[in-house]
Amino acid sequence: MSHEIDAILLEDAKLNLDELARSCQINREWIIERVRWGLLLDEDLITNDPAAWLFDSRSFMRIKRIIAIERDFESNPELAGLVADLLEEVEGLRARLKASELNED
Amino acid sequence: MEFKDYYKTLGVSRDATAEEIKKAYRRLARKYHPDVSKETNAEQKMKEVNEANAVLSDPEKRAAYDQLGQGHGFQPGSDFQPPPGWDAGFEFRGQGSNGAQAADFSDFFAELFGKQMGAGARQAHHRMRGEDHHAKIMLDLEDTYHGATRSLTLRMPKLDSQGRTVLADHMLNVRIPKGVHSGQVIRLAGQGGPGHAGEAAGDLFLEVHFKPHSRYRIENKDVYATLPVAPWEAALGATVKIPVPDGQVEVRIPENSQSGRKLRLKGRGIPAATPGDLYLVLEVVLPPATTPKEREFYQTMAQELAFNPRQNLGV
Repeated sequence: MSHEIDAILLEDAKLNLDELARSCQINREWIIERVRWGLLLDEDLITNDPAAWLFDSRSFMRIKRIIAIERDFESNPELAGLVADLLEEVEGLRARLKASELNED
Repeated sequence: MEFKDYYKTLGVSRDATAEEIKKAYRRLARKYHPDVSKETNAEQKMKEVNEANAVLSDPEKRAAYDQLGQGHGFQPGSDFQPPPGWDAGFEFRGQGSNGAQAADFSDFFAELFGKQMGAGARQAHHRMRGEDHHAKIMLDLEDTYHGATRSLTLRMPKLDSQGRTVLADHMLNVRIPKGVHSGQVIRLAGQGGPGHAGEAAGDLFLEVHFKPHSRYRIENKDVYATLPVAPWEAALGATVKIPVPDGQVEVRIPENSQSGRKLRLKGRGIPAATPGDLYLVLEVVLPPATTPKEREFYQTMAQELAFNPRQNLGV
């Protein structure tokens, strides 16, 4: 096949709750609980009506990560959130090391 | 196709209990977790572990797999074609019970459990939108400055002529939006799993990462480059022409600059909605002192400048 397909940045067309739930193959109540508990680190989402929620790249990746941690290790959601926090911090520090031309080891 | 030994992959015996399989899976999931593992091929190993777990943690799949090994005498590594009707009497639930993406699994898995994957996962009479697929895409930094079309080959479940689900390469030409940066996700409408009974196909979500670049380093939307300068350019100041990801620029080096000084070119980083910055990190490069004339220059400097770079060390 040769025709070109436009890729849309998630920031330009954010996902609503149903789209996120369908894409991650998880039910919407599971996501609502984790958003309400603050696991997505997005205060705006917590206070708004779920029908108005919109998820960007960071929320999408974070939900996927929390799903994987809870599933792989049968962890409780708070622990999955903590691990996600730490992994994000490690990623940020690794990027800074690379930008500074420092070796991880 | 090679017969895969899922017990060996998880490092458990053939009579392992469900609890032992679960523990082995968790231990390996931690060891090969792509976000933290320092093991080589961690991502590939994690896929193999996920696949083994998808079979061995599901009682029906495990029983069918065991029957193949024992009843039909297949050995690990031996050439494999499933015997006709090998799965008679077994009913499988969905794809991998751990929710891993079916497209990540091997041809061996697809051959055995293909009817449960992707296109075959739903009853044909159910109207259902296709599943979304998730993958990663590696881009060059230049792609985000200019926008670009990139070819991408993904392994996706497809129905073959006999109605069986097989994994097939699926090639896409993707127009990359300008300004995308690492960690962002791009969406390709209708490029996921096929829909059923006339429903729409799913979407493909690609997580963006950049390939390492010989000249530039990237942190979020900011881009870093080393700018080599001569001692006199650093000392006296100068205007130099340099390449940047979107062309060339002239940069003014302030006088009395030192190695490590960062010059910020505002808005010349990744051209996102709020663009990043481009940082040029100065590196003073000394001319060699090999010829008598070059050495004489350095000796003159030593005598005339009375410069002690270790003054702060108290010596």
